[in-house]
Amino acid sequence: MSWPGFFAIANVWWLLLLVPLLVFYFLKLKRPRVEISSLVLWQAVVNDQRVNSPFQKFRRNILLWLQMAVLILLVLAAMQPFVPGTAEQADYQPVLIDCSASMAATDPVTGKTRLELAKVQVADLIDSLGPDQQISLIAVHSSADRLTEFTGNRRILLDALTAMSMRDVPSQLEDAFRLTQALAKTVPVESVVLFSDGNIPDKVRFSLPFRVNYQQLPAAGPNAGITAFNARLTSSQDWDVFLRVESSADFSGQIVLLQDGQQIGEQPFSLGIGESQRIVFRVTSEISTALEARLIRGNAQFDSLAADNVAWLDLPPARPLRVYAAPQLNSFRRALAATPGVDLFPKPKQPKQRSVNYDLVISDKSVDQDLIAPVHFLVGVTPDDAESLVEPSSALTKFLDWDRTTPLLRHMQLRDVEIADAIQPVAGVDVGDFEEAGHSVVATGTSGPLILRRRSASRLTFHTLFHTSRSTLEFRVAFPVLVANLVQLSRQEAAVGDVAGVQTGVLPAVDLSAGVEYEIDGPDNSLPTVLADENGQLRGVTANRAGRYRISGGDSERRSVAANLLSSMESTLTPVSSIEFDEQTVASADDVLASDRPVWSMVTLLAFGILLVEWWFFQRPRTQNPVRTAASKSV
Amino acid sequence: MTDVQARPQLTPLLSNETLARVERLRLRPNRRLTNRARGEHSVGTGGATIDFADYRDYVAGDDIRYVDWNIFARLQRPYLKLYSHEEELHVVVILDASSSMVSEEKFERARQLAAAFSTMALLGTERVSLFAATSTDERSATLQGCSGRSATRLVFEFLENVSPGGNSTIDAAVASALRVHRGKGMAIVLSDFLTTGDVSRSFNLLNSAGLEIFALQLLGPDEIEPDLTGDVRLVDCETGRTLDVSSARDLLDLYHEHRLAQQAWLSSQCRRRNGRFEMISSGSTVESILFETLLRRGWVR
Repeated sequence: MSWPGFFAIANVWWLLLLVPLLVFYFLKLKRPRVEISSLVLWQAVVNDQRVNSPFQKFRRNILLWLQMAVLILLVLAAMQPFVPGTAEQADYQPVLIDCSASMAATDPVTGKTRLELAKVQVADLIDSLGPDQQISLIAVHSSADRLTEFTGNRRILLDALTAMSMRDVPSQLEDAFRLTQALAKTVPVESVVLFSDGNIPDKVRFSLPFRVNYQQLPAAGPNAGITAFNARLTSSQDWDVFLRVESSADFSGQIVLLQDGQQIGEQPFSLGIGESQRIVFRVTSEISTALEARLIRGNAQFDSLAADNVAWLDLPPARPLRVYAAPQLNSFRRALAATPGVDLFPKPKQPKQRSVNYDLVISDKSVDQDLIAPVHFLVGVTPDDAESLVEPSSALTKFLDWDRTTPLLRHMQLRDVEIADAIQPVAGVDVGDFEEAGHSVVATGTSGPLILRRRSASRLTFHTLFHTSRSTLEFRVAFPVLVANLVQLSRQEAAVGDVAGVQTGVLPAVDLSAGVEYEIDGPDNSLPTVLADENGQLRGVTANRAGRYRISGGDSERRSVAANLLSSMESTLTPVSSIEFDEQTVASADDVLASDRPVWSMVTLLAFGILLVEWWFFQRPRTQNPVRTAASKSV
Repeated sequence: MTDVQARPQLTPLLSNETLARVERLRLRPNRRLTNRARGEHSVGTGGATIDFADYRDYVAGDDIRYVDWNIFARLQRPYLKLYSHEEELHVVVILDASSSMVSEEKFERARQLAAAFSTMALLGTERVSLFAATSTDERSATLQGCSGRSATRLVFEFLENVSPGGNSTIDAAVASALRVHRGKGMAIVLSDFLTTGDVSRSFNLLNSAGLEIFALQLLGPDEIEPDLTGDVRLVDCETGRTLDVSSARDLLDLYHEHRLAQQAWLSSQCRRRNGRFEMISSGSTVESILFETLLRRGWVR
């Protein structure tokens, strides 16, 4: 049993009002005068009532008792009593609310979304705010938004909570916790409450400086959704379109594919719990075309999430991949020449054309960084901003570790590759210094980083800190795999021959007219205007909802870009019951977070009830007393 | 009936119709305490009435006019024929005319009852004395020794002229009456008995004086069922004294207990002296009191 607490215990001093109440009661002089025949009987009654104890006077004085009870209850209500809940009583309480796509999943019985359930619980938390407590609401999605400052104003908090909407994006917790950490520098934050349905990454790269109360919301109903949608050019005009459908329960239905609004195929699917199915369509198109895939559920099937039932894919015009490989890099050129669908530059006996828009540039010359291409692979070229971090070395080195998940190094075995004349870090420089310079290390050798990757606005650049001709890489199986990975990666980046569905969050850059303001008409009916940069690219357009975003403005024709959820984590609705942080693991709370329950309203109602009883007691119709009735009959 | 209604009103105290019914009633004492004077109450043998009572042996000196000659002829022995003896009964009506009787028509009802009882007694050839006590400092208003039908007018005039007021207690009224009254009979005490004194002494005096006690307590409806709530200041209309009562409604049960206890005590005091006691409400009509309550309780016949 937990004892009730008081938010404003200082108001107990109001109980001193009992003193004047008693004094006024004793001193009240104005009594109605009633003339009666004789005081004989009443004197006997009063003498009988009065006994030696002075407090006996109060015994039958129900009016005084009722007034004292009302006063005590009102003072009690002013003290703001509450029944303690399980929620912590922190002065500053950040509340993280997951509003990613899976939070829109509905319950088949109640029809409520997870976000609505979370809002109810957070509203309870807000309603139970103490006078000295403040809450900051933070929306968690692919990033994090602080909805309110730390405030104890319930109206502001509830307004922000009501205005919060879900987004068709996968959830990422790092930004939210970093934002909370930043808040903790201004106010003392001891704990954080996280409301989520559990469709979040089970690992978060973050060291917790505070406690996390992970409130996992109840699971939603069954769901099936499209989690992948991409296409690959197989010939000059034929595309293989791949879809992946995943389900959280036994589910059957069909996928319907539309090309420019016309249905061109449909395929049924049947999935068990947690299963996925790959579905392939063949599409023929030489020009750009828009594909739309729709998941049609079977009869009597319940699908709790709608955002993943439709996906869009824009196929570019079919063309070969334009690759520039420096003439001196013969090994690369030979490998590329044997790769189908690749148009290799420079052509024999033709000079280098700097104005051509390439899809991939492979060079060992620093000047070739100026060539226009979405992917650059620079062999033995040190990044300009990392010149101070490295120095030439003549020692032999080997690959020690590499990121096997990065598209460039997938399916590669680099263990037996020996490297000569590699560039190694100067003394005292570690991986962190390269990361501070904007590079991520994807392969590390015995003496330091060997391959760096840098993602800029419109370009993906790889730097090898060794020359492939000064290593045994060109003689290993890994080399053609590396070239194939580069081609594959370039196809994706340039959307040539290999196209993947655009995920929600931020739309990819769109080439338009420089300096022109464009209006974006998205599925959420918002109409933001975005200014194209000096390169004519429209960047940074947020796409929180899945759907087609139509871009209009300037003299250019209307363009559109579709954004899709395409998240296995969000569609399968497989919750994680614990989150693994860098140094600790946080499990979901066993109990629903019970906030402090204020009871002042009940106390006030009780006081009002006593007032009604008092009124009734003194205004009630007189009932016949059995004794009196008998006496009356005797008259 | 038509004649009764046509006659002028004899007294404002009682309507002619009520008076006609009252005239047919008689008081019904328990003990029949009588005076030697001739009356209508049979008290034994040896009287000169025509009602046969008993026989007894003739002894020398008896009036031979009372010898039953038929018996003598049959038995050859003289027997004396005895007739019943009837004496007079003195009815004393003591009326409490203090200020406490003013409220709720208690005094009005007491005067009506006194007139009714007096009428019954006078038409029953009883002797009637009336005493009305007002102030302890003054002598009671009296009307003594009335008898005969013609005295009803005197009784009515006396009662019509008695005005209430003063602070006399019933003890003082009884004492005042016994100072001037002589003769046995019955004493009808009409009062609210809301007095601080001990009425047992007065009852003893009445009993010792050969008066059978008929005590009639008159209480107003508000005294039987007080309608008081909250905190009030009660004022005694007789003495002017005040009494503060808090949460009066809560005390009503206690008040009622005391009222019933007082009635029980008064009733026991009367019964111990072979008397009668009755509490009546001044809210009841005099007809209801006389022809229903008192008739049913055997006060009158």
